[in-house]
Amino acid sequence: MGKTLFEKIWESHIVVEKQNEPALIYIDRHLVHEVTSPQAFDGLRMNNRQVRRPDLTIATMDHNVPTSDRSLPILDQTSAIQIKTLENNCKDFGIKLFDINSPNQGIVHVIGPQLGITLPGSTIVCGDSHTSTHGAFGALALGIGTSEVEHVLASQTLWLEKPKTFEVRVEGKRNNPHAVTAKDIILSIIKNIGTAGGTGTVIEYRGEGITDLSMDQRMTICNMSIEGGARAGLIAPDQKTFDYLRNREYTPKNYESLVDSWKENLKSDSDAIFDKQFILNINDIAPQVSWGTNPGMTCDVDEPIPSPDEFSNGDVNQKKGAEKALEYMDLKSGTMIEDIAIDRVFIGSCTNARLEDLIEASKIVQGQKVASNVNAMVVPGSQMVKKQAEEMGLDKIFIDANFEWREAGCSMCLGMNPDILSPGERCASTSNRNFEGRQGNGGRTHLVSPVMAAAAAINGHFVDVRKLDLN
Amino acid sequence: MKGNIIKYARDNIDTDVIIPGQYLKVHDYAELATHAMEGLDPDFHSKVKEGDFILSGKNFGCGSSREHAPIALSHSGVKAILALSFARIFYRNSVDGAFLLPIEIDQDAYDGISEGDEIDIDVSKNEIKNITKNQTYKMKPFSEIIGKIIAAGGLFKYKPDQD
Repeated sequence: MGKTLFEKIWESHIVVEKQNEPALIYIDRHLVHEVTSPQAFDGLRMNNRQVRRPDLTIATMDHNVPTSDRSLPILDQTSAIQIKTLENNCKDFGIKLFDINSPNQGIVHVIGPQLGITLPGSTIVCGDSHTSTHGAFGALALGIGTSEVEHVLASQTLWLEKPKTFEVRVEGKRNNPHAVTAKDIILSIIKNIGTAGGTGTVIEYRGEGITDLSMDQRMTICNMSIEGGARAGLIAPDQKTFDYLRNREYTPKNYESLVDSWKENLKSDSDAIFDKQFILNINDIAPQVSWGTNPGMTCDVDEPIPSPDEFSNGDVNQKKGAEKALEYMDLKSGTMIEDIAIDRVFIGSCTNARLEDLIEASKIVQGQKVASNVNAMVVPGSQMVKKQAEEMGLDKIFIDANFEWREAGCSMCLGMNPDILSPGERCASTSNRNFEGRQGNGGRTHLVSPVMAAAAAINGHFVDVRKLDLN
Repeated sequence: MKGNIIKYARDNIDTDVIIPGQYLKVHDYAELATHAMEGLDPDFHSKVKEGDFILSGKNFGCGSSREHAPIALSHSGVKAILALSFARIFYRNSVDGAFLLPIEIDQDAYDGISEGDEIDIDVSKNEIKNITKNQTYKMKPFSEIIGKIIAAGGLFKYKPDQD
């Protein structure tokens, strides 16, 4: 019987695997940020341990960093301490750090691929659930907790239970790929499989609907695997992957010979069997908008908000969840999505703040103004994305339309820095989680694509971007 | 292990409501505990007692990988979470740091156990006794792997069996 891509990567990284024991898996790259690492470094010090492979460990600061003027001191003292702590830890343990002033600083899942640190067939971990993003390059990329961060720092290995395999096959072609985006594909998948649909599995996304996507778009898909409950998401590398990673700052010197071996090895065999399968046809899918308080609570832009009964299919807890979500979101079943007015727009996060996301959003914004009652911001995923966008003049397009143009970081995706919603504010957000309070206590989040967010900013309410001329 | 139940009859309790992002900068665990469940139940801190258990629905602990979530609950006094299912990172974080026991239950336990019930969990028998209602339910056994990490007292104390 053939093997899946996941099984091939797993098997090539086993240090020890015995029956009824977790497998000890070798980790090729460890990405570190300021929020989930301090206790891990404290643990190393307490036990007189060193970092086993500082050369395979890369750090940046993204969750806490202000996205406003960086020549000013950080006002939030607890944030300043956490940022300083990472600086000290990296210095003490000899770890490469892209600090707040580095041109390579950015959201850890944006900079990894941009710098050529993320490689096909490798194992990558980070104390962050959206590590799944790197799976777009055919890497087995797992989000881990702080105890596991410490374990990887100390040993460059991790004890893992072997996940099951889940094939998500995306078939068909979108009629209007500028209006119906990778974000809409992944939200559709989560809407169908549910927020726990992928629990205990590694998803491999396959099919024409996936191979058609650019690398930036594939990262959006894999990024939200965790929102479907999966341990990781994977896409087999192809020519687009190999071309993307060529000549990056940290691309290995023997790159072309690596590509030859990746071409041969990094794909699921034709007779491989997955433990689970889901098929989505995207010929007719619509832009998606979340209406509730988890990413599965999502509907088409031209649909009304479902009733709790329609949403729950008879499941009591699902029904209660939908009722609570509507109450929290201050929405009523039957309301058309396009009739929902918004206060804020956030274009950013590891899901949708790469160059292509900003280019697509700018096409809608060009020559327009943000609605007078809306406050809108663009937070590029990395300083490199910001620079590239500025070289293309995108900053000017956004600023002329009254968007704020910020420095790179996680920002309003999770409300750890000053970029937060006020209670009751409603936000069209390109991020990944619409949980209660995620973007600020009492804030109301609607997950959408960058083009949907841009159109909402201009119009003050959601708009079906298929009606706009985007070519 | 005996304790009383705090029940949240809903699915998908995420780590953002267990410990909101603004507190991820807090390094003092006792202070972190004062904000546990703040995103969902601002009264939690005043009602939780040492040794309590939380009962909830499917996909408990979904979302962010923040280990602050089991830490905040554990330092509030919570010894176990009984849920219909768990998100995997939260599940491993709970066990890795020996913060609390994540116990998977069936629908009959979920339906049968109410807020305030006194429960006795016997992991060796995979049994949950409802002392208040004089009922007994099965718990889903830990996988061998997880059972060994729990028995060792966390990830750093775990040593694989010798040949």
